Amino acid sequence: MKVKIKKPTGGQVATAILLLILGILISMQIKSVRQSNELKNLEKARAIELAEQINQLRKENSSLRSQIYELESKIKEYQDSAASISKTTELLKDELDKVKILAGLTDVEVPGIVITLDDSKLPATANVDPNSFLLHDSDILQVINELRAAGAEAISINDQRVVSTTEIRCAGPTISINNTRYSAPYIIKAIGDPKILKNSLMMRGGIIDLLKEFSIEVKIEEASNIVIPRYTGTLKFNYAKIKSEGS
Amino acid sequence: MIILILALAIGILIGIFIPVSIPQDYSSYVAVGLLAALDSIFGALKSNLKGDFKIDIFISGFVGNTLIAMLFAYLGDKLGIPLYQAAVVAFGVRIFQNFGEMRRVVLLKNKSFAKGENKDD
Repeated sequence: MKVKIKKPTGGQVATAILLLILGILISMQIKSVRQSNELKNLEKARAIELAEQINQLRKENSSLRSQIYELESKIKEYQDSAASISKTTELLKDELDKVKILAGLTDVEVPGIVITLDDSKLPATANVDPNSFLLHDSDILQVINELRAAGAEAISINDQRVVSTTEIRCAGPTISINNTRYSAPYIIKAIGDPKILKNSLMMRGGIIDLLKEFSIEVKIEEASNIVIPRYTGTLKFNYAKIKSEGS
Repeated sequence: MIILILALAIGILIGIFIPVSIPQDYSSYVAVGLLAALDSIFGALKSNLKGDFKIDIFISGFVGNTLIAMLFAYLGDKLGIPLYQAAVVAFGVRIFQNFGEMRRVVLLKNKSFAKGENKDD
């Protein structure tokens, strides 16, 4: 390119200054963009790392759980062998089995009913509160209450055994049961006389009637053989102490 | 010309070595501003080749376009419309046009040199 002017004129000086500023800005911008990219990559790497940690913990959890089962079957073996030795230990073992069922510490398998509850599939309309189409903790509680009143002996919600310490509590869009969160659909299994359980739920003006009014989807099935898993949490008493005799 | 390239290079070096970078929030505005500035520079190169370069037009275009482009981007952000895209398209197209004209001028010059050496141009 030909440049006729040899001496730097005012215009050239001005242009040079502008280009100087432009250069500074360009490299600053490039630095800034690079920094933001690094930040994004860092976040991505962190998310991947956390996901890996979760998987790791899950694996550990399941291996620990299988260990629990192993140890428990060993305990049962000991109990069985102890029961075969004498009549008293056999009676004691029967008592223990009953208490275990009551406390929800064993898997149980007998006839009962399976109730499936799901949020309403109706499209939302402008004038109706969308909350009324959703299942709430109070709905689940009412169903459980009704089942208990009808003589259900063991109940689980989404395979979480309902025990004396079980909470059924609203947790945002989910419901917390045994400190584990679940979202709809909820599958409630109850052991007891299937006919009585079903009829108590289907009672006119009862809970199912009420839920159907809000077009909540309800399905009740009688089953001759359902399995309700045991409570997998830990039972630890910090405050409850047995009252000592005579004091 | 050499002074100008030198100025640009020094500017880039200064930008690399000062420990300041553009805040994340203003980064997009600066990017649009830079595009406007680059457009002005290409325009200047073109008119330099054509021989109708005017310093006042260049400087006013450089400063004015940059400021308006940044303002546009800012306003778009506030209004919720991606107005900076307008600046990107407009300046992008102009850069390519200017480059195309530069190419033509240079190629035509070379051709006329090659065709007739005795022919005065």
